[in-house]
Amino acid sequence: MLGWLPENISEYAQGVDKLFALIYWITVVAFVLVIGTLIVFLIKYRHRAGHRAEYIEGSTKLEIIWTAVTTVIVFGLAMLSFPEWNNLKSPAENPDYVVQVRGEQFNWYMIYPGPDNELGTEDDLELENELYVPEDKLVQILLTSKDVIHSFFIPNLRQKQDALPNQTIDTLKFQAREPGRYEIPCAELCGFGHSGMLGYLIVQTQEEYDAWVAEQWPE
Amino acid sequence: MTESRPLSNAKLGVLILLGAETMLFVGLIGAFLVFRMGNVTWPPLSIDNIQLPRLVTGINTVLLIISGYIMFLALRAVQQDRIKQLRNFLVFTGTLGLLFLVVQGSEWVQLIGKGLTLQSGVYGGIFYVLIGCHAVHVLGAVIWLAIVIGMAIAGRFSSVNFTGVETCTIYWIYVVALWPILYVLVYLA
Amino acid sequence: MQENENISHEHDDDEQHEHAHDDNDTMEHTHEHDNDEQHDHADHHEESFIRKYIFSLDHKMIGKQFLIYGLIMLFVGGGLALLFRWQLAYPETPELEGGKPAKAAKPLPIIGPSQKYIDDGEVVTGADKMWERIYDSDKEEFLEVNMPSGLIEPHFYNMLFTMHATIMVFFVVVPILVGAFGNFLIPLMIGTRDMAFPVLNMLSFWLAVLAAVIMAAGFFVPGGHASAGWTGYAPLSADPQWTGVGWGLNLWAISLLIQGFSSLVGSINYITTIINMRAPGMTFLRLPLVIWSLFIVAILLLLAFPVLSSALALLIFDRLAGTTFFTSTAEGGGSSLLWQHLFWFFGHPEVYILILPGMGIASELIAVNSRKPIFGYRSMVYAMIAIAFLGWVVWGHHMFQSGMRPGMGAFFMTTTMLIAVPSAIKTFNWLGTMFRGSIRFTTPMLHAIAFVSMFVIGGLSGIYMANTPVDIYIHDTYYIVAHIHYVVFGGSLFAIFGGIIFWFPKMYGRYMNDTLSKIHFWLTFIAFNCTFFPMHILGVGGHMRRISNPMQYEYLQTFEGMNIFITMSAFTLGFVQLILVFNFVWSIYRGKVAEKNPWNVTTLEWEAPTPVPHGNFAQIPTVYRGPYEYSVPGEESDFIPQAQPEHAPASAGD
Repeated sequence: MLGWLPENISEYAQGVDKLFALIYWITVVAFVLVIGTLIVFLIKYRHRAGHRAEYIEGSTKLEIIWTAVTTVIVFGLAMLSFPEWNNLKSPAENPDYVVQVRGEQFNWYMIYPGPDNELGTEDDLELENELYVPEDKLVQILLTSKDVIHSFFIPNLRQKQDALPNQTIDTLKFQAREPGRYEIPCAELCGFGHSGMLGYLIVQTQEEYDAWVAEQWPE
Repeated sequence: MTESRPLSNAKLGVLILLGAETMLFVGLIGAFLVFRMGNVTWPPLSIDNIQLPRLVTGINTVLLIISGYIMFLALRAVQQDRIKQLRNFLVFTGTLGLLFLVVQGSEWVQLIGKGLTLQSGVYGGIFYVLIGCHAVHVLGAVIWLAIVIGMAIAGRFSSVNFTGVETCTIYWIYVVALWPILYVLVYLA
Repeated sequence: MQENENISHEHDDDEQHEHAHDDNDTMEHTHEHDNDEQHDHADHHEESFIRKYIFSLDHKMIGKQFLIYGLIMLFVGGGLALLFRWQLAYPETPELEGGKPAKAAKPLPIIGPSQKYIDDGEVVTGADKMWERIYDSDKEEFLEVNMPSGLIEPHFYNMLFTMHATIMVFFVVVPILVGAFGNFLIPLMIGTRDMAFPVLNMLSFWLAVLAAVIMAAGFFVPGGHASAGWTGYAPLSADPQWTGVGWGLNLWAISLLIQGFSSLVGSINYITTIINMRAPGMTFLRLPLVIWSLFIVAILLLLAFPVLSSALALLIFDRLAGTTFFTSTAEGGGSSLLWQHLFWFFGHPEVYILILPGMGIASELIAVNSRKPIFGYRSMVYAMIAIAFLGWVVWGHHMFQSGMRPGMGAFFMTTTMLIAVPSAIKTFNWLGTMFRGSIRFTTPMLHAIAFVSMFVIGGLSGIYMANTPVDIYIHDTYYIVAHIHYVVFGGSLFAIFGGIIFWFPKMYGRYMNDTLSKIHFWLTFIAFNCTFFPMHILGVGGHMRRISNPMQYEYLQTFEGMNIFITMSAFTLGFVQLILVFNFVWSIYRGKVAEKNPWNVTTLEWEAPTPVPHGNFAQIPTVYRGPYEYSVPGEESDFIPQAQPEHAPASAGD
């Protein structure tokens, strides 16, 4: 099961895969225990002639035990998840790059602030469906939408965030480790073109990226 | 059947219905609060020149509360077999209910004249939907009351048989009690 | 006619039961309309066809009506699923950088045109002829708009999955679990003659029919049916310009409002009946667990549905009256998250409405077939109450990625995780019930075992989603689809099938054919797992839900084979259900005649004669003990009916 996860290129979300693996093994063990017990019971206590069921109404002790065990496990999991959640869903501190992304039926528009590092000015650059970032740099996405709710999903970064109309969400950030071209599908139903609403994350080495910048904003 | 059955089916049924009604209003009031919190100024600047009629509606509120008390007196009357009083009280209650609706209606006409409509952003929208939803309930209660009045005139009630009055009273008082909450939330706060 | 019968019936009861008498007495007072009461059980006279089968006031007939209604809608909903499954298996493969070679989509079988017709317009099959006619006609035919040449349009695809889910949730699972089993079982199992308000009961059914008709009509209005998902997220649903859907979505909302009324009326009836009309001695802690589950569900329905109604009302205003409650882009506009909050505040209790009665049914089946008392009856009840209560404080877990404040995510994660506790208690108690039992592998028991094991998978997969960091990744993927189907299909639907087979003898006085039932069970079980288990893998691979063409994504192209496998399994699963239908209909007329208590059950419904007459019991039974007195030591019979007086010699098997 774990092998089906797409390659994780995120500096931030390595913890997600670890949690995933932890939950995976907990649930596998729980599943094997419960279903194993079920099968053993089904075979052992099947109806046989002359055999009578035992009148058992319950056992408070057993019930307390399994209630307690379950509670401890789920709370433990919750405790382990809090830091990861806060890490992933808090606004970026001192990001290296800021890019605004706008969802609009049925495209992602990436808006670069340009040399003045300010959005909403003359030198902004708006690209359709292509997000260029340098590797190993902290990138913050200011996510918004023009019409309906979209969801910005980068499987390889384990990141996903809904884009809300007329509202900017600043909690989406990442640091990509591997240069390459990755897909950014929309994950929230947004109309008949939802399937196929697709952008690309292009992770480049710093030199490539600088060259790209120089090309976009010639002095 | 069971040894103890404190509430008759009809009474219990109405009480359960009120649970659902409450949740309907919880949904609408929840929406109202979301809009209220989501806007820094309330009413939003675009409709600042419109004042909701606090005073008239306040008087109307008092009318409605009085009608609730009279409905309660009607129930007391039928329990003590004062059937003629029952009729008078019921009619009085119904009249006050209708009066409430008429005042509300005329206020609405004035507000619409001043330019506050359903389309005036969420402020106008939720005002008409929330207050209108309550008005529909008052209207429903008035119709129910009319049926009860008819039955009272036909002599269907007595001190041993008054479930019809009782269930209607429960519903009426519920609708009355709901109003001050909406008044405070929508008009005053 | 009522007057006479009421008198004769009261007279009957007078002699044998004082309790029953004072029940009727009170009822007479409480009802404004005497004809609410239909207690003509004493003598059987011919009722007109319409009175008996169409506008029946009898809870058993209304229950059966709901059952058949639900089963018909099950086939409608399932059929829609097969259509979009085909699209997912054989979509068009576009040319992608580094992807698979481009390939045309494969038209639907049977109605799709032949390859010859596509290539050179030569009419070969009947379908070709049909398409020729459609293309020649000037009208915009339904098929031409939605499935040109047997290929599903993306817009139609959205309608299909929207309606699949809407129908399955609102028109199949709830009507069958609550409408059918609730109506049929509640009066019988608590020992009363009918529901508290029979007229309202009938109203509830016919409102549900009206809702279904309106919902079906939506397909045929211009612009097509609702296509914003069963969750109808605003602002997509709030403004026709985003989906291009006009009246379809309005009809969707109106239909759900009517269905809400139907549920409201039904739940008032259930709650009143269970509180007020239990047989003498039937205390709350002697209620069978299925009645407990239906009681809790009725309360949930009562309180949850009005919240959806309020949201639907606002939605309709947005669509028709020009308000902007859900559109934040407009000046002075509303909130685009409001819909989600309102919807899921209703929606999460709704999810438990879908599973709790299944748990109740499974509890009955497991206790009866293990010949043992339920392990920890009280904690089973408390666990259900806990689940129902927690259901109100977890709605935010559907919205972890919605832009809700992250701090709230931590709160909702904790409450959601908590639900694992009562769910685990229930699972362990089912195992405890089988422990040292004497398990009879009847077909209902097979379904109950399937219920437990599928519920375990569905429950465990829920932990991934409750865990917020992991949910970031699997949210809105096929992982969710797998999870919901393991709970609602693997859980509720197996319980429904088991329940139908189990109570069929009481409903129709005949058994269902056991061989066919077993074949149906095993094929369903296998096909179900083949269909839905791979969806977990798709989800882990990042396969989004609600996309009509996964081949447009390079990273999803590897899953082409798996999608085809799932589709094949889904078709198998669909066609296997025909066995159930055949068995159901055939057994009503030709099944083996059943005795009064064929499964040796303790609960009251088996005290009533088979087939159950109007009014259910010749005399209202008195209850002496809890519902699960199986294999009591020192007793000759391995079960003691609830209505059997103390110290009476046990007589087995009648």
